[in-house]
Parts: sequence; structure tokens; C-alpha cells
Amino acid sequence: MAAKGDWLVGELERRGVTRREFAAFCSTVAGILMLPRSAGAELAQAMATGRKPTLVWLEFQDCAGNTESFLRAARPSAADILLDTLSVDYHETIMAAAGHQAEAVLQDTVSGQSGQYLVVVEGSIPTGANGAYCTIGGRSALDIVREVCGSAQATIAVGTCAAFGGIPAAAPNPTGALSVADAVPGIRNLINLPACPANAANLAALVVYFVTYGRWPPLDGLRRPLFAYGKTIHDNCERRAHYDAGQYVELWGDEGHRKGYCLYKVGCKGPVCFQNCPEVGWNEGTNWPVGCGHPCLGCAEPDFWDKMTPFYAHLDGFPGFNRQTHIDKVGAWGTLGVAAAFGAHALIQIARRRGTGDAQDDSAETGETS
Amino acid sequence: MNARAEAAPARVYVWEFPVRLTHWTIVLSVVVLAVTGIYIGNPFLTVAGEARDHFVTGTIRVIHFYAAIAFALAVLARVIWMFMGNRYARWPQFVPMDEGRRRGIVQTLQFYLFLRRDPPPTAGHNPLAGATYLAVFGLYFVQILTGLAMYSASAPVGSPFGVFSAFVPILGGLQTARYVHHIAMWLILGFVAHHVWSAIEVALVERNGIIESMVTGYKTGVPDEEAKSRDE
Repeated sequence: MAAKGDWLVGELERRGVTRREFAAFCSTVAGILMLPRSAGAELAQAMATGRKPTLVWLEFQDCAGNTESFLRAARPSAADILLDTLSVDYHETIMAAAGHQAEAVLQDTVSGQSGQYLVVVEGSIPTGANGAYCTIGGRSALDIVREVCGSAQATIAVGTCAAFGGIPAAAPNPTGALSVADAVPGIRNLINLPACPANAANLAALVVYFVTYGRWPPLDGLRRPLFAYGKTIHDNCERRAHYDAGQYVELWGDEGHRKGYCLYKVGCKGPVCFQNCPEVGWNEGTNWPVGCGHPCLGCAEPDFWDKMTPFYAHLDGFPGFNRQTHIDKVGAWGTLGVAAAFGAHALIQIARRRGTGDAQDDSAETGETS
Repeated sequence: MNARAEAAPARVYVWEFPVRLTHWTIVLSVVVLAVTGIYIGNPFLTVAGEARDHFVTGTIRVIHFYAAIAFALAVLARVIWMFMGNRYARWPQFVPMDEGRRRGIVQTLQFYLFLRRDPPPTAGHNPLAGATYLAVFGLYFVQILTGLAMYSASAPVGSPFGVFSAFVPILGGLQTARYVHHIAMWLILGFVAHHVWSAIEVALVERNGIIESMVTGYKTGVPDEEAKSRDE
């Protein structure tokens, strides 16, 4: 329920989060949001005194990876602070209530706070077999998402499954899985936070921004906040200098790999993936995939499971050939084949003309005066 | 010039200057784009030492981008010229709208399949070549569109190239754009191989000066369709 006043700092102290740690969190969030340094104080002020928004977390076709990502963060974690900033009324993985009691809480929120609560959706929404692939309390995911997101103030689709369909929607998509945007078209204030899983720091920053300013940050065409998805991974990559220089990992564990060269040739999808991983990092900024020598899989992009594979190759194979067949090999042989065929054609043409010996007639026919 | 024209009265001015200029600009830029593009797809040079001392892939990308600008402008100019130039440059040369052009496609195919001794006499593009170039222009547009879409991903903030990011979802995402860009390059290179050989073959068989015509603009011993249509 909404609450006012300077409750937060006391609440955090009770949990062992110091004032200093809280201030550090606010500065970090300001950094993630690309706000000026001074905004940290503004965010802290707003969080400590603002309305405590109610949040409902729905899980459908997912692996709970986003929940894990959010809850496993280290102290003083984004989760700690956010869980105290927010009133999380419903979250299947962490709530104590179960069964009818839990569903009643959800119903209370939807009807009692219509238009005032936030929804986080994790996982895709199956639409095949009338939604029978995912039901909670006897209701299909589609039903639930329609009702709960329909009367929410805003919906945050966390993770690639909720944002773009993700792995459940990958070909052949047996359950007819859809993203939140496709399952409930025209949903109010939908924000996509893709990635597999979504970065807890971005979710925290997004909510803090909303609590502070009462509106959502600027979004791109895929409804992703620009602060986190405005630039490709490649353009902010710490290994970028190696790319531009021409220094690449050729094989796992080779000299270039040990020296931290660019992973472009072993299939890094950083140039085609928008995320702020290089700046924000994972596990409280400890590291991120490319930082520890693994190419980006492009997990934050639509249809990544279908389009970014093979993960360890720059491009897919030539259509109609084995996926391991390098596209340039087929292309080069094809071009050589065309050259050989037309070369042979020209030679045959000339030989035939010589053979019939009527070159003179040719020129007469084509109108050439000789 | 006059003396030469008198010596060979059947010389017909076919390719106007903008046609020749755009042709050779496209030739040069396609060669540069293919070489740099293949490198960008598979950067086979690996330099030793500190990254700060080298800019190999960076330089090759910059060359690719400038060649792409030249290419795109040449293609654009050529398309505009399809509506401004002489009859050999105009769009009906590429789009087989009338019965004669369509019959010409069949006759030219028969010639290439050795079913017919001579191709139908044409001054401009033979009807089959014209229709092929329509497909080639299609490939050029695919390259320009996918190229601009990919460039938009790393265009500097505020760059006008950013608007081309609107094409990214239409193209099915950047990775698909990359893939299409790569395959279309090989199709264009396949066309280049065919084009060069066919020009040599036609030059030898028809002896109409087709290769020189791409420099001088004049073909010899071809029907002057322009004059004929003026007379009619």
C-alpha cells in the first residue's frame, strides 16, 4: 500500500544497509541513467519521501532467471533497496502466501489500486491450445496478463521472453508464445527490458527513475529505455580498440584470447546488440561476458535464439547448405562457377563462328558496313 | 571526331556521359566495397603489438563507408538518369513493358543457349540484359538499405544517418541485415563475372565495339533507334 514519509532510511538501517550504502546506490543509479552526478541526491530524496509504489510480479513461460538475477545481487543490493522502496504485493517466487490467499492479494491489488500499481512480467505468454500451456490458479497466462496489465499504471516486460518472446517463441514455437506487447496489443505504458536475464541494475534504475520523476525515461522504437539500450555493445566495448586495430581471437585459448583481443571472429554479436553491459556489468559490476572472454550472444535482441545462432560464428551458413558451410566459401565457388561457365560459353560461341566461317554474314546482318 | 564519324558512318551515340560516369563509378566502388567488405566479414589480418599503434580494421571500414557513399550516389544518379537520359538510358530499357522487348528476351535467351545464331539487333541494352539489370538494381538497393541500416547502429549521436535505424525492424534485425548484405554481395559478384564475360563475348561475336562504347559512348553497326524514333 502507498505510504509516505521518511520511512525508507530507517527501514534500510533496520536491515543493515547504511546511509552511506544507500547514497552509493543512488549515485550508481544516477550513473546508469546517464544523469548528472548531482541527480543522486535527488533520487535519494525522492525514494526516501515519495509514494511507495505497489508492484506485482507475474511469471509465465520463463526460467525465473530474471527473478534470480534480481534477488541474487550482492549487498547492499538493488533488490534490498528496491524491495524496501516498493511494496511487492505479489511475486510467486518470493511471496509467503500460496493458493487462494495469494490469488486474493493479486485480485485486491488489481481492483483496489486500479491504474496505480506497476506490473513486472517475466516470461512469454503462450497462446496455443487456448492458453493451456501456462495456467495459474486455473486461469491462462493470457487472461491474467490482460486483466492485470490492463488496469496497471505501467508494465515492465523484463527479460527477452517477456519483451520479445525469447526462447519459448523460438522456431518452431510449439506453444504459440508471444511477447507481452504482441499478446496484449495497445497495452498502456509498456517498457521492455530485454536481455537473458535482464540486468537487475537496469530494472532498479528504471523504477527509481519512475519513483523520482513520476514518468518513464525516453524509449526507443522497441520500447526499450535509451539509457540502457541506446548504444550497441560493440560501441562501448572495452575490447573495441582491438577490433579497430585488427587484433582478434581466432581460437579459444589462443594467444589473442589470452591477451584479451576482440571476439568478433568467434561470433561476438556485440555489433548487433543494444545493451549497456560493458558499462554496468553484471553481479554488481564484477564482470560481464565479453570481459571474461566469451562473445556476446545478442540475448537482448528480438528473436535472438533464431537469428543470432550459430553463436560462435560471425554469420550463419549459406542458405540450403550445412550451417557450418562458410558463406564466403559458397559465394566464392559460385562466382568462380559463373565465371567459368560464361568463359566456356564465350569460347564455344567463338569456336562455332570460326567453324562455320561465315563471319562476313554476321556483320551484314547486324548492319555493319565493311 | 568528324573524320572518324565519316569513316564509320554507322557509329551511334548510345551511352551518354552520365551513363558512363555512373557505370565506372559503380565498377570501381563495387570492387572496393567487395574487397573491404569481405575483409570486414572475416578480418584475416592480425597485427601484433599494442592496439593503440594500429587501425587496420578501422581504416578498412572507413574506406568501405566512403566507397559506399560513392556507390549509393552513383546508383541514385543512374536511376534519376533513367528518367532524363536518351532512350538507351531510360527505364523502359530495363522494364520489358512492350511485346517487342519481351520477344527480345526470348530471342536473346535462345542466342545464349545456342538455339539461335545471332542475338536480336539492339543499340542499347539487349532486352535480356536490361531485365537482368533491373534485378541488379534491386540488389544494389538491398545493399544500400542494409548498409545504411547497419551504419545507423553506430552512427554518432545526432548524425542524420540515425534515421536509417527505422529500416532495422523491417529488415528483420541487424544480424539478418548483415546476412542479407553478405549474400547480396556474392550475387553481385556473380553478376560481375557474368557481365565481364558476356561483354567480351558480345564484343567478339557482334563486333559492335561494345567495350569501347562504355568509354567513348559510341557503338558501331547498331540500329540507331533514337534517330528512327525521331523520324517517326
